Amino acid sequence: MRWMALWCALVSIEPALGASLKLEKTITVPPDAAVRFAAVSPKGDWVAGACQDGRVRLWSLPSGELRQAFDLEDQRASSVRFSADGALLVGGGDRGGVRLWNIPSGRSKLELKVGEPVVALAISPDKTLLAVARKDVASLLWDLTTGRVITDLPARFAGSLSVDFSPDGEWLASADADTEIRIYESRTGALRATAKDLLLESFAVVFSADSKSIYAGGADRTVSVIDVAGGKVARALPQQPNAVSQLARSPDGKILLALYLDERGSVNPAPVIAWNVMSGSIDAQAFEPKVRPNGGGFLGNGRVIVTSSDGPKFEVWSVR
Amino acid sequence: MPWHRAQFTRREIVGNCLGTVAMLSSSSALGIAEAYAQQTQHRRPTPPNELGPSYKKGSPKNTILRTPGDPGLPLTVRGQVFNTRGDALSNAVIEVWQADHLGHYDFDQYRYRAQLAVDSAAAYQFDSVIPGHDPDRVCQHIHYLVLAPGHKPLVTQLYFATDPVFEGDPDHNFGRDPLIHSRELVRPVVLAGDPEEIQAVVRFDLVLELL
Repeated sequence: MRWMALWCALVSIEPALGASLKLEKTITVPPDAAVRFAAVSPKGDWVAGACQDGRVRLWSLPSGELRQAFDLEDQRASSVRFSADGALLVGGGDRGGVRLWNIPSGRSKLELKVGEPVVALAISPDKTLLAVARKDVASLLWDLTTGRVITDLPARFAGSLSVDFSPDGEWLASADADTEIRIYESRTGALRATAKDLLLESFAVVFSADSKSIYAGGADRTVSVIDVAGGKVARALPQQPNAVSQLARSPDGKILLALYLDERGSVNPAPVIAWNVMSGSIDAQAFEPKVRPNGGGFLGNGRVIVTSSDGPKFEVWSVR
Repeated sequence: MPWHRAQFTRREIVGNCLGTVAMLSSSSALGIAEAYAQQTQHRRPTPPNELGPSYKKGSPKNTILRTPGDPGLPLTVRGQVFNTRGDALSNAVIEVWQADHLGHYDFDQYRYRAQLAVDSAAAYQFDSVIPGHDPDRVCQHIHYLVLAPGHKPLVTQLYFATDPVFEGDPDHNFGRDPLIHSRELVRPVVLAGDPEEIQAVVRFDLVLELL
């Protein structure tokens, strides 16, 4: 009943915020190729989808034209991510396959086997390092210049759910299933700080634009702002009725896009919120009764876009 | 009860072996090894099963998770913690967490979450209710995290052979939940108590791998 009350509260305040989702593009995919998760390139010119049929598909924006379809070989694609300059795309699958491609040529750059299902991926800003979060086991830090593992990044137990490199390239953060956020030196994988304040699992971590803070969101329905130097939670954005599933930072660092997840069932629709990270207030909040957000980012003009998948329909929405 | 066979520590087993040797003047090294092998019950590690998104740090020490009047079928789970050599791990710590009878997890407080200590025989027990069906999962389940010094952490889940999803045949139907990779995690459920207060009882032993 408490959930219901909170949900009703959310719905009732939504019109006052004046935001809504506008359907910009509907992309048809093969019936067995539903897009599980999507990533928007940093410049907003591409959207990549991790597809059920084991392919990573790349569409141009805003046209929605299919430009590439990459194969992960007989495994469902489970994660996809662009490099900070959009020149590399990495995809991972349910059976531990990881591939990197040059964008827009689509040429394969590297293929790795990480042994366990891939949960999340991140490429360092200089494109020499790759972090791979794996299901139920330690994440791996790879040197892309040698194709070798630098080190593993163990939690107290189980694996990690999200990884991100700081924009200055110094740090790597992992949201670990033991609820702690670990901060490593990106070059060596040496552990530098552990944020132990969070009681529930974080599903997403993103560095601030100045590399001094980490935004972490997850089952506690809150976005926590963690100080990189001390590993402490400095502040938290207001708690919402739903868990945070994904985070994306605007290029100027002022807006944090949070995609939410309905804990009563992930098949239920859920809202998106664009947070003003300085004031901690909501810039825009939108909820569409049929939309389960599975990716989001920013277009070059600052507009926020959100993706969702409904079987053979892959939809791109803008937040108005 | 079968688990009583394995309540010896390694030290006790070796001690028993030496006592046996002292009584048998013709015992050989081979005899000692055979005696040791007979008394040490090597065990297969409990299959791991994913942690899931509902873990919460800091669960209170508690063995009674249900409160009087809680809806749902009362449940008692008991078992022992071993390692693969058969040693009872009396220093193990167990965390359990589950949904309520409707399949909902409590993220605000610690309802149906607990940390359990084991006794000197590495036995544990807790009282709860049979969990409901989580909307994002197929089968009823209870999550386990087991930690013991010198051993790999074990993250796993307990399932119930009586789950309607199995339609009475968990041997054939356990794969209906794509997260159940081992039939071993689906445990028999015994109904106990008088007809007015029926209670489900499940035994779930846990076996950790050495580091």
